[in-house]
Amino acid sequence: MSTQVATLGEAHPRQYHGLLDWLTTTDHKKIGIMYLVFALINGWFGGSLAGLIRLNLYNPDWHIISPALYNQLMTMHATIMIFLVLMTSFAGLGNYLVPLMIGARDMAFPKLNAFSFWIMIPAALMLYGSFFIAGGAAQGGWWSYPPLSSLQYAPGHGEDLWILAVILLGIGSIMGAINFLVTIIDMRAPGMSWTKLPLFVWSWLVTAWMLLLALPVLSGAMIMLLSDRWLSTGFYRPALGGDPLLYQHLFWFFGHPEVYIMILPGFGMLSHIIPAMSRKKVFGYKGMMVALWAIGVIGFMVWAHHMFTAGISGAARMWFSMASMAISVPTGVKIYSWLASAWGGVIRFTTAMKFALGFIFTFVIGGLSGLMLAVVPFDIQVHNTYFVVAHFHYVLVGGSVMTLFAGIYFWFPKITGRMLSEKMGSWVFWLFFIGMNWVFMPMHLLGIDGMSRRVATYRPEFKPMNQFISEGFIFMLIAGLLFTYSILKALTQPKDAPDDPWDTQAIERSLEWETASPPPAYNFAEIPQIR
Amino acid sequence: MEPTPLTTSSTLTSGALAAKPAGAAAHLDPHLHAPVPSFWPILLAGGIGAVFFLVFLVYLGVPLAGVLLAAAALYSLVAAAGWANTIAVERRLMDRLQTQKDLTRGFFFFLASEAMIFFAYFEYIYYTRFTGSVWPPAGMPKLETSLPAVATLILVGSSFTLNFAVKAFLRGKQAAAKNWMLLTIAMGIVFLGFQGFEWGYLNGVMSFTVTTGAFSSAYFIMTGFHGAHVTVGLLMLSLVYWRMEKGEYNRDYHMSLMAAEYYWHFVDIVWILLFFTLYLF
Ligand SMILES: [Cu+2]
Repeated sequence: MSTQVATLGEAHPRQYHGLLDWLTTTDHKKIGIMYLVFALINGWFGGSLAGLIRLNLYNPDWHIISPALYNQLMTMHATIMIFLVLMTSFAGLGNYLVPLMIGARDMAFPKLNAFSFWIMIPAALMLYGSFFIAGGAAQGGWWSYPPLSSLQYAPGHGEDLWILAVILLGIGSIMGAINFLVTIIDMRAPGMSWTKLPLFVWSWLVTAWMLLLALPVLSGAMIMLLSDRWLSTGFYRPALGGDPLLYQHLFWFFGHPEVYIMILPGFGMLSHIIPAMSRKKVFGYKGMMVALWAIGVIGFMVWAHHMFTAGISGAARMWFSMASMAISVPTGVKIYSWLASAWGGVIRFTTAMKFALGFIFTFVIGGLSGLMLAVVPFDIQVHNTYFVVAHFHYVLVGGSVMTLFAGIYFWFPKITGRMLSEKMGSWVFWLFFIGMNWVFMPMHLLGIDGMSRRVATYRPEFKPMNQFISEGFIFMLIAGLLFTYSILKALTQPKDAPDDPWDTQAIERSLEWETASPPPAYNFAEIPQIR
Repeated sequence: MEPTPLTTSSTLTSGALAAKPAGAAAHLDPHLHAPVPSFWPILLAGGIGAVFFLVFLVYLGVPLAGVLLAAAALYSLVAAAGWANTIAVERRLMDRLQTQKDLTRGFFFFLASEAMIFFAYFEYIYYTRFTGSVWPPAGMPKLETSLPAVATLILVGSSFTLNFAVKAFLRGKQAAAKNWMLLTIAMGIVFLGFQGFEWGYLNGVMSFTVTTGAFSSAYFIMTGFHGAHVTVGLLMLSLVYWRMEKGEYNRDYHMSLMAAEYYWHFVDIVWILLFFTLYLF
């Protein structure tokens, strides 16, 4: 026994302080915080690009931004928001909360966890740096279809840097997915059977499974794209017998699951927040669980609904149309379960709950326009118009971002030990909620009227509506400023948040509320036993 | 000497086993549970990021980029080795059984993600084949199959010899295990030799290069990607052989041996599919 103690003492890990502590940490909580801070910073960059886009579209004749620069802004806005904001902030909350919720001391591979975060930094540097090289950043959109992304039409090196950055981000996400899968399967506290697993953890299990299977396909497609550019191979070049359409298949085989990767963790968070704020147990736990998996499996079978106008066969159109509609069934199960979770409860309209209920409203709109787009004739009519832009912003902003706000307001006290101002929170919610509907709702009409997306200008008759939209952006901007200020303000205040600030005693609460706010490095003094 | 596995220290990392009574004092001592800080993840991430960026600079023809790329690659290897070494050191502190279980599971998920990259290439070639109007595309020579068939037999055989090595090891026959291991490594090298010869022959004699057409592009990226995997597999097998030589494995702790075996079988299965797809079909 004495030798064992000696061994432990001798190999006792060195602790670093200050900046070095953050650079060397393998603590899932600190890594989670770094993800969240990184996402907030990138959110400001990505949001600023959106602001420039809206500024340029305020008047079709201003031309303050050249069409080439507009393409770069549009491409990078999407790339940053998807890879560096949404995926990153869900990864941050997942990192922070999953080990706590399953009663573990850390992730299964703490160093790999740190690696998954740090590999994003060179990728981000390459993305942002590409603005400053000759030819500027990539202009091919976040989908980067050949031949638009081929050497012939995209001779600038921004495209090369973009491809390399996406492959790097893929490596980090795949490693993160492996970590989440092993952690959730192997590290659950004794007694935490699969049917006692919190829904946020379930949502991350499904998300990790989708990341694991979808991202390598993107990497494969990117390697072929890069070799067409660098080695003059013929993968996507018809002159050599290749097929550019195949890129679209491979890209959307990743791209559609990616949509769920960016929303499922949000679904999981709502399944905690709505019951807690309604003082009820979550309604239909098993249905929610099955619905998550249904989305996680059917989500892999619908990719070509992005390609209805690209020349796929009639049979394929039919299949992808029907499969896409089928996804609304599990999604509907979730919506009804959340509503039933709140129904008849003692609802507390905290900021987290406001965002959660606001989410249900906006996400249903995004889901309905998605159903419309799954109908082939309608899709062909509005393809490449602002209707599509309206749809996916309702899903990603009205969906993912709203759940993120809800999640941050809900778990901020746990993460920092401080409460966010509810008064400011209410302002953040109403400004953001009104702003986002103001901005994206009219885009449905613009799309039906035929305004093309991805273009730096538009026909004169769309001017009034575009000015209206650009004005609405100011509301979202103020909401963002207020939110950031609110966080900075809270961080200057004393740590006075209780362990269970939302008083979840009454309901079935998850384990993160059992430990201190913020939790100690080792999470739990004793590994909890679940009965 | 084989370090004794510290079963009582299971509280350090593993949630699932931590419930075993390990002494209340150990539970309440926060230091025992503090995550171990490490410089390696950030150092390796920087190295890999530098490799990616320098590949780009080499493509641009920037002077000295090649040298820097080699340096960055070497640096990344050192960082990876340093990381691996800390695992070996910390392993003594952890619950080794649980760690091995985690690593094995993680490794299977890693293989699944590898399989999905190959899936993208297979999807590419089958899609192009069945939607393209002419197959094989104009100017494509018919690939010679007899030599690749021999190479295939050698690679498939090496999966068996590796299996014999593992079985011998589990029966405690160390010498036989090492011999089978050496034979496996030799067969892998011979396979790579065949592959190199084939590439040289196609490039030089048949003028069948990456730019000949979609099929040749797919041929080279698939066999090249597979060859890179064989090379990694050979490195893993050599490392395992070295650790066998040092006597680091025992009946309970031989996770890297099993990982190398699974990896090798995986590479073998992918090759069988490749051989069928590229040469026979
Ligand atoms: Cu889709």
